[in-house]
Amino acid sequence: MGPGALQKKLEEEVEAYKKIQKDISKTSGLRTQLDVQLNENKVVKEELDLINEENVVYKLIGPALIRQDLEEARQNVSKRVDYIQQEIKRHGNTIEKLEKEAEAKRENIAKHQQQLQQMMMKQAAK
Amino acid sequence: MAANKGAGPQVIDISKLNLEQLTTLKNQLDQELQFFSESLQQLKIAQLKFNESGECVEKLTPETKGKEILVPLTSCMYVPGTVANSEKLLIEVGTGYYIERDVPGAKDYFSRKIKFVTEQMEKIQKIASEKSKLREVVMDMMEMKLDQQLAVIQQQQAVAGKMGEGMVA
Repeated sequence: MGPGALQKKLEEEVEAYKKIQKDISKTSGLRTQLDVQLNENKVVKEELDLINEENVVYKLIGPALIRQDLEEARQNVSKRVDYIQQEIKRHGNTIEKLEKEAEAKRENIAKHQQQLQQMMMKQAAK
Repeated sequence: MAANKGAGPQVIDISKLNLEQLTTLKNQLDQELQFFSESLQQLKIAQLKFNESGECVEKLTPETKGKEILVPLTSCMYVPGTVANSEKLLIEVGTGYYIERDVPGAKDYFSRKIKFVTEQMEKIQKIASEKSKLREVVMDMMEMKLDQQLAVIQQQQAVAGKMGEGMVA
């Protein structure tokens, strides 16, 4: 492969690497957001567990406070907590995978850079 | 001075880092400290709000039932009314859920929240002061390196001066 083609390939790899980095930070951001939601829902679950049947529970749906059944509210929040935990795990796996890809790309880029340098030196020597 | 970065998974001897890396490290620590101080402020505001709510609840005793109050309809319009129920209180607990509790229950909720927020503030304060100490150490190291570099440059200048004198002579 001539130095020109190698240079072009190097640029492509760098572009791909940058894209992976962007994906990683986007997914990290989502994951942090999910963490916040998880904590909020956990707090609600605790409060719902503390009260008993005589305390009425309302849910804000749009501009109206709608009365909720305590058991139903507890189950809803429980399900939401489980769902968010699943999402967090999924995002965590995605981040791990992306980081491995990024690592591989980094090594690839370093290798190509070395090749290019050697080629340049050989040309200069001629 | 061979100070360690911290007893974490990665222990870096900062005397081995050069000036550029030390600057990067210091900037990173600065950012983290900024974030901590912002979080601490937000927690303090939350603590104040819960405190206020708790005090309001204290004022709502059985005697206030039937008393005249001014009810806000908008941010600048109030309507006279009377306290209908001084026993049941609606508390927003998050994610759109509101729970009706009696006065002791509400007081208990607020004191729990205040305790929770105070605990979080203490945790953050501890971490923030550790980071602050680390930043101090990094800055000391930077100053030392800078002095070293200056000393080397001065020495080089002195040698060049002597050589110049030797040639002229």
